[in-house]
Parts: sequence; C-alpha cells; structure tokens
Amino acid sequence: MSLAAEAFVSQMAAAEPWPESATLYQPLKEDQILLSDCASSLAVQAYLRMCGLPVQVVCRANAEYMSPSGKIPFIHVGNQVVSELGPIVQFTKAKGNSLSDGLDDVQRAEMKAYMELVNNMLLTAELYIQWCDDATAAEISRPRYSSPYSWPLSNILAYHKQWEIRRKMNAIGWGGKTLEQVYEDVTQCCQALSQRLGTQPYFFNKQPTELDALVFGHLFTILTTRLTSMELAERIKSYSNLLSFCRRIEQTYFEDKSS
Amino acid sequence: MFPGQLLIFSLRPVLQRPLQDKHFLCNNEALKHDLTCNRAHHPVLRFQPNAILSSLHKYNADYDLSAKEGADSLAFISLLEERLKPALIYNFWVEPKNYVDVTRRWYAEHMPFPLNFFLPGRMQRGQMEKLRLLRGDESLEAGEELEKELYRDAAECMNLLSQRLGSHKFFFGDSPSSLDAYVFGHLAPVLKSKLPNGKLQQHLKSLDNLSNFCSNILLLYFPRDSRESSSQKTSSPPHPEGGDFDHVPNKRKKQLMSVLVALGAMLSYALLTGIVSIQHLQQEALEAPPDLQTIGSQDEDGDG
Repeated sequence: MSLAAEAFVSQMAAAEPWPESATLYQPLKEDQILLSDCASSLAVQAYLRMCGLPVQVVCRANAEYMSPSGKIPFIHVGNQVVSELGPIVQFTKAKGNSLSDGLDDVQRAEMKAYMELVNNMLLTAELYIQWCDDATAAEISRPRYSSPYSWPLSNILAYHKQWEIRRKMNAIGWGGKTLEQVYEDVTQCCQALSQRLGTQPYFFNKQPTELDALVFGHLFTILTTRLTSMELAERIKSYSNLLSFCRRIEQTYFEDKSS
Repeated sequence: MFPGQLLIFSLRPVLQRPLQDKHFLCNNEALKHDLTCNRAHHPVLRFQPNAILSSLHKYNADYDLSAKEGADSLAFISLLEERLKPALIYNFWVEPKNYVDVTRRWYAEHMPFPLNFFLPGRMQRGQMEKLRLLRGDESLEAGEELEKELYRDAAECMNLLSQRLGSHKFFFGDSPSSLDAYVFGHLAPVLKSKLPNGKLQQHLKSLDNLSNFCSNILLLYFPRDSRESSSQKTSSPPHPEGGDFDHVPNKRKKQLMSVLVALGAMLSYALLTGIVSIQHLQQEALEAPPDLQTIGSQDEDGDG
C-alpha cells in the first residue's frame, strides 16, 4: 500500500481493461488459511463478484510472503499486484468499476466509517481470538499457520507470528482484554451493523457497496468456521437481519455463479 | 494540548449535564484532579478514552440518540482510531521538528528535574513503537513517504467528518454526544497547537465547518480557556491559568538547582586542587611530633 506504488497503479490501471486472467492469491484453503485471512479474502472475492469482475482464486502456501504489503489477499491483474480490500477498491475504481458512485457525500462518509468499524473491531477480534486465546492458538492457529513448513521452521514462524500479533494487541490496548470482553466488543459491533442495516437488503438500500462485501466476508466466515468454541458465531446468530443479509449475498453472488 | 487531556476536559461539560449523580461526579472529580495535578506526568499514555466512555455508560451523553445514531457514532469513532490517530501520533511525536520544538519542550517544562531529561525521550520511543505496530511495519522511519501516507489518510478522515457534519452544530443535531467529544478531543489540539510543521492544521483550517465546530465547542464548554487564549495569544502552554501556578515553583526549583550545581562544582574543584592539600597539611601537622613544635615555639619565644 505504498504511496508511490499506489499512484503508479492508479495511473496504469486506467489504461487497460480488466483482463480475463486476473488472479487472487490466498493461503491453502484446506490446511493453512486462518479465520481472519479467510474473511479478508472472501470480502475481496465478494467485492469483485459484485463488480462483475472475473477472478480466479489460487491457493499458495507462501501467499503471505508474495503479497506486497504482507497482507492477505492480493490480486494479480495484468502486470500489477494489489493487496487488501481498500487499495483493490481504489484500483477497480481507476478501471471504471465502482459500487459507491451512487452515494452522496454523507453516505460515502458513513460507508467508510462503517468499514473502519469492521476493521477496527471484527478483524481485531478475529486476530485476538486466533492468537491471544491460548486454546485456539495451540489447537488451531499455530498448527494451521505452520502446516506447509517442516519442524524447526514451522515453530519459529508460528511463534514469531503470535508474538507479533500480541505486541500489536498491546499497542492498541487490547492486550489486557479478556476473551469475554472481546466477545462483548463483537456483540457491540454486530449490534451497530444490525441497526444500520435495519430491514434494507443492503447497507445503502438496493445496491451493494464495498461495505456489504466487507461485512459479508467477515460474518460469513465467522459463521461457517469451526473454532474451539462456537461462541463467536453464536453472538452473530442472534441478529436475524445480519444472517439473512449473509444468505442473500451468498445466494446472489456465489451460488448461481458456481452452478 | 494533547488529545487525551482535551478529550477529558471536553467530556466534563458534555457528560455532566444529563445527570447529577454522586458517583459520576466523584469519578469526574478524580479525572479532573488527575489531570490538573499530574499534568506534568503523561496523561496521554495513561489515557483510555473508550474505557472512560464505557465506564460512564450509565451516565450517557448519548442517551437521546437513536440506536442507529449510536451505531453511527461507534463507526465514526473507529474511523478516527484507524485513520486519524496514526497521523496524530506522527504529527506530535515523530515529526522531528514538531517533536523537538513543541512536544518535548512542553513535557520537559512540566516535569520535575531529573525526569525531564529522559522521560520525553522514552515516551517518544513508546509512541514510535506504537506507530510501527499500528502500521505493521517494523522498519518504519520518520520521513516524507510516511508523512505523506499518514497525512493523506488523516486528510481523508477529516474530509469525511466534515461531510458528515455538514452544516449541523453537532454530529447528531443540536445536542452534543460522545462522538462530538471524541472528534473535538482529537481535532482541537491540531487546530490550536502551534507546530512548525502544520500541514494537518492547514488542512483542518481549510474545512470551515469542522474548524468552526471545534472553536464552537471550545467557546461553549471551555469559556475560560478560550477567552484566555484569545486574550493572550502568545501563551504556548494549553492552560494559561495552570501555567502560572506551575511557573513559580518551577522557577524556584530551577534557581535552587542552579545554586546547588554551582556549589557542587566549586566544591569539587576545590577538593581536587586546594582542599586536598590542606587536609594533607593538617594531617602532617597532626602527625608531626609535638616536641618539635614546642621547641620551635620556644625558639621563637627565645628570639622574641
């Protein structure tokens, strides 16, 4: 997400149309990918499908190290590589595909704010549960994260990652939180999203935006992933409109395309 | 003027109004006390705005917000946290000129003597570390590239806030909510501080409604502070009335310290050169056999 790279990308992007050979890279789906990465990856896929841009999903064990920002997922389009949802939205916009053009200024501000809410609370909570909850870290995160590597390296990488995330949690003040407090935060976030969504089909009425893609990516992944406890999913299940929102997007953008 | 401080000060009037509860006032007094007495230490580091906001949950400035407005305010607080905060840390702690000329000086002036030499530096390293972790970049260094990136995020965040605010007095109509306090607490320091590198401030000033919003709150809820800052524009510390209190003992302390240091220097110099030999002489005098002295004095007596 470096600035020079971004400026370059947006310059270049306008020139070429979206190629058929666009690829999205993520870690191995069966053995390696973790909840938070899977959620971000699904969000990008949902966004691209909403835009009607075809993309081929490729699983690579070293996707994290291939990504220019070290974050998952990233897309490879023509001769450009862009990672994370925010820059990818910018990138598609430069190519003339945007979902948020129909919004007015206030709505766009609100959309961006809610996207940060999801990043700030849901994504952070996912990271917390993955790496700071000892049971989850020992049973799921470390073994899965290091699955492609052989013994000494696997331990080193997994513990290094865990250490890094824990330091980050301390820096943002989540280090002292208990698991229960994190679940509370998730509930608060879901409540906010549920209030905002109300009875509308999408967050800003009839048309999906990148916010819908992001929320779908996170909620759907949490709902369909088995962790050591299902508490996280249970918290979301109490909001019926969010559940039907996930089902709606899944049916509209994922089922008919695959069949 | 640092974000944490101002936020609490802004919470005081905003939150105090809807309730007259002893517990709350108690809490509030504690907060005020904490800040006015211990301003010299590090209010920013100790400060956890969300914790305070949620600990005051029952006594809520947001009680007349609808559920959707509550959701919106949570979302905008996240926006501030993610987009504006890193830029603020950069602006006050990492930007070399701003840090050396304003932040470090301000903290050094308000800290007791031995601490002011190393605490500001330690706080800066802490903030730098925090910024590194927030950005997820281990090798982060202050520089043009980073500054551009952070300031672009912050400018976008301010634009979004300005768009959301529109021509309203507060974010949700006519009465303030915790979001107003939050935004004010983060933006007022940018607006009012006199930093050598004022790019963020310039951008904020170009957004009329947002800068009016800040000065409006300052006028409404901090009448004393805003009046004094307008009457004596040269004052650099944020709370001039507290500044006077701080200055007198500081001056005394400084005078005392300089006298002590001077005395110490003189003494050590004297010890190194003159006094040592004097002591030596005295010892020699003591060690010398007494009869020699008596003989000497007898001689003198005899001569006399």
